[in-house]
Amino acid sequence: MGCCKVPALIQAQVEMGLVNESEHKSLFRRESDSPQRKAASLMEQGGSFSASFGEGTPKSPKNTVLQSFKIVILSNKLNLLLPFGPLAILLHYLTDNKGWVFLLSLVGITPLAERLGYATEQLACYTGSTVGGLLNATFGNVTELIISIFALKNGMIRVVQLTLLGSILSNMLLVLGCAFFCGGLVYPRKEQVFDKGNAVVNSGLLLMAVMGLLFPAVLHYTHSEVHAGSSELALSRFSSCIMLVAYAAYLFFQLKSQPSSYTPHTEETNQSEETSEDDEDPEISKWEAIIWLSILTAWVSLLSGYLVDAIEGASVSWKIPISFISVILLPIVGNAAEHAGAIMFAMKDKLDLSLGVAIGSSIQISMFAVPFCVVIGWMMGEQMDLNFQLFETATLFITVIVVAFFLQEGTSNYFKGLMLILCYLIVAASFFVHEDPHQDDI
Amino acid sequence: MSCCKQPALIEAQVEMGSVNDLEQKSLFRRDEDATQTKEASLMEQGSLSTSSPGHIAKSPKNSVLKSIKIVILSNKLNLLLPFGPLAILLHYMIDSKGWVFLLSLVGITPLAERLGYATEQLAFYTGPTVGGLLNATFGNVTELIISIFALKNGMIRVVQLTLLGSILSNMLLVLGCAFFCGGLVFYQKDQVFDKGIAVVNSGLLLMAVMGILFPAVLHYTHSEVHAGSSELALSRFSSCIMLIAYAAYLFFQLKSQSNSYSPLDEETNQNEETSVDEEEPEISKWESIIWLSILTAWVSLLSGYLVDAIEGASVSWNIPIAFISVILLPIVGNAAEHAGAIMFAMKDKLDLSLGVAIGSSIQISMFAVPFCVVIGWMMGEQMDLNFQLFETAMLFITVIVVAFFLQEGTSNYFKGLMLILCYLIVAASFFVHEDPPQDGI
Repeated sequence: MGCCKVPALIQAQVEMGLVNESEHKSLFRRESDSPQRKAASLMEQGGSFSASFGEGTPKSPKNTVLQSFKIVILSNKLNLLLPFGPLAILLHYLTDNKGWVFLLSLVGITPLAERLGYATEQLACYTGSTVGGLLNATFGNVTELIISIFALKNGMIRVVQLTLLGSILSNMLLVLGCAFFCGGLVYPRKEQVFDKGNAVVNSGLLLMAVMGLLFPAVLHYTHSEVHAGSSELALSRFSSCIMLVAYAAYLFFQLKSQPSSYTPHTEETNQSEETSEDDEDPEISKWEAIIWLSILTAWVSLLSGYLVDAIEGASVSWKIPISFISVILLPIVGNAAEHAGAIMFAMKDKLDLSLGVAIGSSIQISMFAVPFCVVIGWMMGEQMDLNFQLFETATLFITVIVVAFFLQEGTSNYFKGLMLILCYLIVAASFFVHEDPHQDDI
Repeated sequence: MSCCKQPALIEAQVEMGSVNDLEQKSLFRRDEDATQTKEASLMEQGSLSTSSPGHIAKSPKNSVLKSIKIVILSNKLNLLLPFGPLAILLHYMIDSKGWVFLLSLVGITPLAERLGYATEQLAFYTGPTVGGLLNATFGNVTELIISIFALKNGMIRVVQLTLLGSILSNMLLVLGCAFFCGGLVFYQKDQVFDKGIAVVNSGLLLMAVMGILFPAVLHYTHSEVHAGSSELALSRFSSCIMLIAYAAYLFFQLKSQSNSYSPLDEETNQNEETSVDEEEPEISKWESIIWLSILTAWVSLLSGYLVDAIEGASVSWNIPIAFISVILLPIVGNAAEHAGAIMFAMKDKLDLSLGVAIGSSIQISMFAVPFCVVIGWMMGEQMDLNFQLFETAMLFITVIVVAFFLQEGTSNYFKGLMLILCYLIVAASFFVHEDPPQDGI
């Protein structure tokens, strides 16, 4: 497995793609049909587009390719949602009802996010473990990053903060809880075990990242900054740079230490070799992967633009606070693929991979996406800072402590999963009745 | 031991009852005096009849009278029984609420203990599942009754503070005393308890506290959509969620306990050594039901006077209501569990002590608190989970500290002493604490 020696948390994302691939593999004959295969996978991506646009791929479809195309679309049900994207754009120009535009673009982004993950893994197989790991680590949450950058452009700083916060909470509580719950239901008689050491280290990292997020908020709310208003901004920007350095060090450390101490994962590697027979032969060629990555990113950007535009209108027409939409609804979409992956791993008794997906994604958001948005905002001239307001900061802190504590034991069962899901429901309910206090301007 | 295969935390309460049984067993010859036993225990309760005539239907025999004396002398708590009726008398005679409060407090203590006893007796007859449920619900029925009376009177703050105090008292005082006394008895070694179960229970407690926290955090960041009604709605929703979680907790405990009883098997065997006979309860099924009802009625009666007297006592003694609710009331409500936990620790059965203490905390935070919110909802009272900033912060800090403390899996007298001292600091904080007057909710 030369191309796929990647650290555990990234391995999880590779696994997700590999399992998808193995499903595809059984439908294709790899060796003899390579040009057909390329065309088929192009059609898989492109055909569903051309069904709604009548353009997209230059190659003419063959009959068997069309059959494979049908099989692929039927096996990957998410792609059924692809037409919603263009439909949302149409509606944006046709009607004034932002609620529908928001809903449809939300639904339309979901399959794109999943295909984006797939394309990233395909590319990772070509670029070697280091760059592959970096790619996965960066593009893992690219959907949320794109949505956030669009919101930043529109000056909706609060939406950015809330979306990223919601993504962390959703990963830690909902994704993890569903994984534990479903895994526990499949294995009701025993407690599933995961690597305690790894989980504790990751929780510690998450706690430190949250600590970095906390200080500007604490500074502001104790009214103890030197220059009111600009101090937290300066502190936030400085902290963000530090956190990006920390994240780079984290990646470096993971990739470096992983080949030497891969022994604990060898059993899992062997297990993965059983389930995914072949990870050295990706579905599509390197250039195709790059092209698809660009196309998908462009599509996600386009839809995100309309999505972000429609947020405020949707909030008004549905009578839901913006904070609920940003914290609960948007991250559920952005995390849909990881969600499915984590549940799948748990049901296969590979809880370490589920944890890798869930906690790893939370670390990615808190140590990379949030500081990155602050820096981007800095460059754009927007006043994005790390002061997430008191309620959100307290919620984040409490949640991270509770989850970190929960993971200390190293076992899981359906009850723990249920508790995590119920906690998420309480958090969601809190945000449903939450709006920013009016007297607080920053 | 088919009747006593119950989860650890519930097993602890069974143990308590069976050790009491053992003491009484040595005074009775079980088989021959079966009838005498029934009458004797009726008479033991019937000491009430000395102050409230016309209570017991059976006539006492001479040997029964001796048994009564022996029973009363061996179960010292029953000496306090007369204080209950005395408190009721005082309520009508004098105006000093302080005395009424004190005497009803003292009078409730033995009733709470006998209530626990009656529950365990009943649990013998109903099988492990219902028995476990009984113990889980009635374990803290004294606090529940006091809280419901306070709710009726619209004293919402007292309810919140009493339940909060019960959680704090269980986590710090009961646990600390258990560790301390156990450590004194076994001072040469560190006592060990099952780390896994302790960590799981701490995690549950942390989650329950998290559920309680959010309405308070929402309120104090002034970030609710509709000021005032938002936290109430959120509190009610969270309470329903927490009741579901508690039901799932019970279900999971009872399910997993029948599947994987192995870690507790050694303790089960030890139990068989100390309590020679757990399958033969003291009193018959209908007697325990009757006594359960009688005791519950008595506790309710006294609680009514107790709650009435709280504000008067606070004024006449110059003590803040917060202190009375958080420190004094829970000490009474938890007296029986307190004694039980210490006893287990001194017998080197720390798991049972932990089961009692932490299990009781979980019961209060995941069942009693949401249940009171729901009851308040039905009564039309505005009981919510917003425990005010000070109490909420105190609860959160305490739970984190205790959860951390339990991670190691060992205990000694020093740890116990630290927990007790922490409780003293908490008590002192509440002694000088009163609700800020400008806060309307």
